[in-house]
Amino acid sequence: MVEFKDVSVTYSSGVDALNKVNLKIKDGDFAFVVGSSGAGKSTLIKLILKEINATSGTVIVNGFNLSRLRRGRIPALRRTIGVVFQDFRLIPTMTVYENVAFVLRVIDAPSKYIRSRVPYVISLVGLEDKTNNYPTELSGGEQQRVALARALVNDPKLIIADEPTGNIDPALSYEIVDLLRRINECGTTVLMVTHEHDLVRYFGGRIININKGSIAFDEVIGGAVDNEAQ
Amino acid sequence: MKLSSASYLVGQGMKSIWRNRMMSFASFCIILVSLLMVGISVLVTINLNRVIDGIEDQSEAAVTIKDDTTEEQRNELKKKIEQLPNVATVTFYSKDEAWQSMKEDLSDEQQDLFRYADDNPLPDTFRVTVKDIRIMSDTSMQISTFDYVDTVKSPTQFADVLVSIKNILMIIMTAVIAALIVVCLIIISNTTRASVFARRKEINIMKYVGATNTFIRVPFFIEGMVVGVFAAAAALLLTKFAYEGVYGIIKGDMSLLSILGIDNLYPFSKMALKVTAAYLVSGAFIGAVGTSISASKHLKV
Repeated sequence: MVEFKDVSVTYSSGVDALNKVNLKIKDGDFAFVVGSSGAGKSTLIKLILKEINATSGTVIVNGFNLSRLRRGRIPALRRTIGVVFQDFRLIPTMTVYENVAFVLRVIDAPSKYIRSRVPYVISLVGLEDKTNNYPTELSGGEQQRVALARALVNDPKLIIADEPTGNIDPALSYEIVDLLRRINECGTTVLMVTHEHDLVRYFGGRIININKGSIAFDEVIGGAVDNEAQ
Repeated sequence: MKLSSASYLVGQGMKSIWRNRMMSFASFCIILVSLLMVGISVLVTINLNRVIDGIEDQSEAAVTIKDDTTEEQRNELKKKIEQLPNVATVTFYSKDEAWQSMKEDLSDEQQDLFRYADDNPLPDTFRVTVKDIRIMSDTSMQISTFDYVDTVKSPTQFADVLVSIKNILMIIMTAVIAALIVVCLIIISNTTRASVFARRKEINIMKYVGATNTFIRVPFFIEGMVVGVFAAAAALLLTKFAYEGVYGIIKGDMSLLSILGIDNLYPFSKMALKVTAAYLVSGAFIGAVGTSISASKHLKV
């Protein structure tokens, strides 16, 4: 669960990035965060990951009160969150398998668990055939699926996808969002930041629109995909 | 931390050495050179100290005894001198012995001069060696106040010189070691920066998925330690060859030998264990501490 209470962020340069934002994303929700660049979307994500601290207000993520969280406990917070980036951020010297296993190694998981968990997650994103390939041998869409597998592998409560479709073909974008929705159906909260309105209109769901540091719009709308299904 | 994670981290450290081999080699060289310089200066100092100690042991105060002293009084005096805390040994050197040895030292012509002198002009003496040469002058003063003592001659000036040589050696050594440690740490911190840069993507992802700071730092720590240990091993070999070479030269040269006294020099085998331990520990320490300090600085973990 993510909860913002009267959160404001002012950068040291004097820029007000967020202004008294109130927001609640319940466990199991799927929400799109939209808004033009500079609206405060990245600030929102940085707050959730505790890369930055709120100037005022309270941020609560998965039961951690971030304003009271000591530095040494930040890893514990981040282990409950999976992150997918626009630029994938895969390690080029590692195979698909190693890129995914890396996360579990880092959090000190038993090697037996790693050996069973990693192939399972790779199969969830449909990349069984590419397990031993290097990221450079994959298409953009495939690379993002690897990144998604990496975000999923330690079974996080919350997945943050920061413009996950920004660097891949529009056709493949739908595939990525569809995958995110399937992950969400299994109970994981998903927060996807995007500025592709077509995508949002197509899938529908909860839309949070941030404009000039405030929430301009936060409602659930029906998507085209649901209409198609009916 | 689990065993599998530990071996993973060690593996990462090793990989990182190879990935940044040029910089690892630079660290290797700087640790090697530093260890060699410190090690050789320590070894030279140890040996010089031993030589100086040897000279000290030989330097003795000559206590001349008044002419009309009886044997009983003389023994009483000997006891009193022996009871002084700083006195190591007291040897009696009779006037006859002194006369004999003096005559042996003279040339034939000079001996002619003394041939008809029946009366031995030399006094009885005690030769006194001390435990601590630095307070030899105090000891001499004390002895000179005793009854039956005529004069006390001690090489106090010489003793002072020896003591100041020792002190200067100490200061130079400390300065050399301190300077080398600083240089080492600066160079190693630059090496680590390259290593951090090469792994910045991994580090970034590690931070996002919740790796603890320790977990991120350990590979750097291991990287530095391994480089340090290798440098120590190389330094050990070089030191051994250099030391044994110089030792052999001194042993082969009779004139040097007589000045220094070969008994006063340590053969390498006698110190090998201590030198090995010191090199390995300090090599690993410099490497590991150097990298972890700068790793934390550059990682901002």
